[in-house]
Amino acid sequence: MAGTPPAAAPPAGTPPRNTHPLTVAVRVMRSIPALLGVGVLIALQSGQGLREAFTGDDPVVAVGLGALVLGGLALLLLIVGLVALGSWLSWSRLVYYFDDSGDLRVDSGVLTRQQRRLALSRLQSVDVNQPLLARVVGMAEVKVEVAGAGDSRVTLQYLTMSQAQALRDEVLARAAGLRPDAGTAPQTVIVTVPTRDLVESLLRSSTTLIGVVATVALVAFTVLVEGAVGVALLITGGVPIFQAFGQFVRFFGFTVAESPDGLRLRSGLTSTQAQTVPPGRVHAVEYSQPLLWRSKNWVRVQITIAGAAMGEQNQSSGFTGVLLPVAPREVAEAVVERVLPGLGSRELAWVSAPERVRVRAPIQWRALAVAADERVFAVRGGRLVRRWAMVPHARTQSVHLTQGPWQRRLGVATVSVDVADGPVAVDGLHQDAAVARRMADEQAERAKLAIATAGPERWMTHRLADLPAPDPGDPVV
Amino acid sequence: MSPKLIVARRLVLAILVLPITAVAVGVTWASPSPPWVPALLAAIGLGGFGWGWWLVGRRVRSYGYCEREDDLLVTSGIMFRRLVIVPYGRMQLVDVTAGPLDRTLGITTVQLHTAAATSDAAIPGLPPDEAGALRDRLSARGEERSAGL
Repeated sequence: MAGTPPAAAPPAGTPPRNTHPLTVAVRVMRSIPALLGVGVLIALQSGQGLREAFTGDDPVVAVGLGALVLGGLALLLLIVGLVALGSWLSWSRLVYYFDDSGDLRVDSGVLTRQQRRLALSRLQSVDVNQPLLARVVGMAEVKVEVAGAGDSRVTLQYLTMSQAQALRDEVLARAAGLRPDAGTAPQTVIVTVPTRDLVESLLRSSTTLIGVVATVALVAFTVLVEGAVGVALLITGGVPIFQAFGQFVRFFGFTVAESPDGLRLRSGLTSTQAQTVPPGRVHAVEYSQPLLWRSKNWVRVQITIAGAAMGEQNQSSGFTGVLLPVAPREVAEAVVERVLPGLGSRELAWVSAPERVRVRAPIQWRALAVAADERVFAVRGGRLVRRWAMVPHARTQSVHLTQGPWQRRLGVATVSVDVADGPVAVDGLHQDAAVARRMADEQAERAKLAIATAGPERWMTHRLADLPAPDPGDPVV
Repeated sequence: MSPKLIVARRLVLAILVLPITAVAVGVTWASPSPPWVPALLAAIGLGGFGWGWWLVGRRVRSYGYCEREDDLLVTSGIMFRRLVIVPYGRMQLVDVTAGPLDRTLGITTVQLHTAAATSDAAIPGLPPDEAGALRDRLSARGEERSAGL
């Protein structure tokens, strides 16, 4: 590259590093609840025998039982010891480092060695998470995700919080094409979700609604007919409340901040997650609005990031695809504007589904529509929960049309834009067949044009390359 | 599409349906159930087989592809019709696969992959030469026009 700025000096490798030794302790602690559970189960099983032995006065039985209890304790300790040994072995065999080409390498495994190399030019996101147990001892895990099929992520457990943040900064700096020690990029908080809004939005969400309606119906039924439906009440009322509580814990204190590294998303009450999404990694965005959010004009925003497929996510940490759990529409659109410039709020010429699909989609037919302009393809639908989704043409992977027998009778078809795996599906349901066909063809054409003007991978190098190269040796003229 | 794909699919259908039907009819015949039971089972089995036979022919004839200047069109299905348009620049890899039965009959499947799992564009039942040539053409065009994700 001509006139390479000094910031893009070739990154050097680093010596291998271990994760923090307390990792072993955290892993052992994590296994204790399960072991205790098993122990309690066994104790309960043999409780009857124990009680008989202690009330009886046969010394031989008492001694035998004492030995049994001691033996059980010893066994438990042995298992804990084995877990500790295993954790220690796997901890001591895991090293991470940056190689000479600047990619992150992770070597791990006790019996089967595994060497992984994450090409940071394809970085999708870096998370710093604190699961509850790790948080208690001040530890955090770093999750690095690159684009690629299958298992393209690495989770480093555990580092101290400052180490974790330093590693995140280094990964981001290298991926951006800056010097590895560029430090934390300055960030500005764009939006914080107030706890009041979060609680209220969860109470107003559709699942809670369904739970309340079902519970009321069941109570009425019980009063009228009499009967033991307590269990049913517990299930219908309990599941939504449980779900809402889970969301509350996860989305508590949700903060969106912006930095040159990309967007920083932070949230969590017991466990905390902090994710950094580099610019230009967002492939699609979806707004959703349950019925009772409408009066407040609230929306939830979900995004698809390539590589961060949702299927393999576990519950405690990891990206849910939620960019904003709840926010007024204007705020949400402003945030989306930062992730996908130009996509915040667009005046789109919606093409509605024909009225004849009323028989096929009696509830949502009025909402069904598709639209496209020079930047995005958009679909909308839903009656109880309104949804609208957008994908920039540059992110269109392919286009497909489907038509079932009933749709053919009605002369309609579904036109879909395929985007990278994630929570957002872009399906334009039940459009007039001719319109759908035309839309599909046009979309393929637009995708082709957009591919021709694709963006950079190492975002900072390109940004810096646009500026005149600074020359520190020269006196200022 | 090669008519051999019809042969292959009908063979698979026969292997799946006929033995099960035979066993069911045999067992009910031997057991002390009324004689209309095995007759009914045989009718269902054979009827289903006939229907499947007819459906396979129709479905295989529905497969098609068209190489346009900048994208590939793939069609499939009679009852549930599907048309996929994949811009060459979005193809990540092109698979050519053939199972044991396919190899015996001399047919292969060309499958296109993009970054989206929903892209599902498969062209089954191509003769190996055609499949290989198609793959090479697609890869070449994909390379010309490719651009990250």
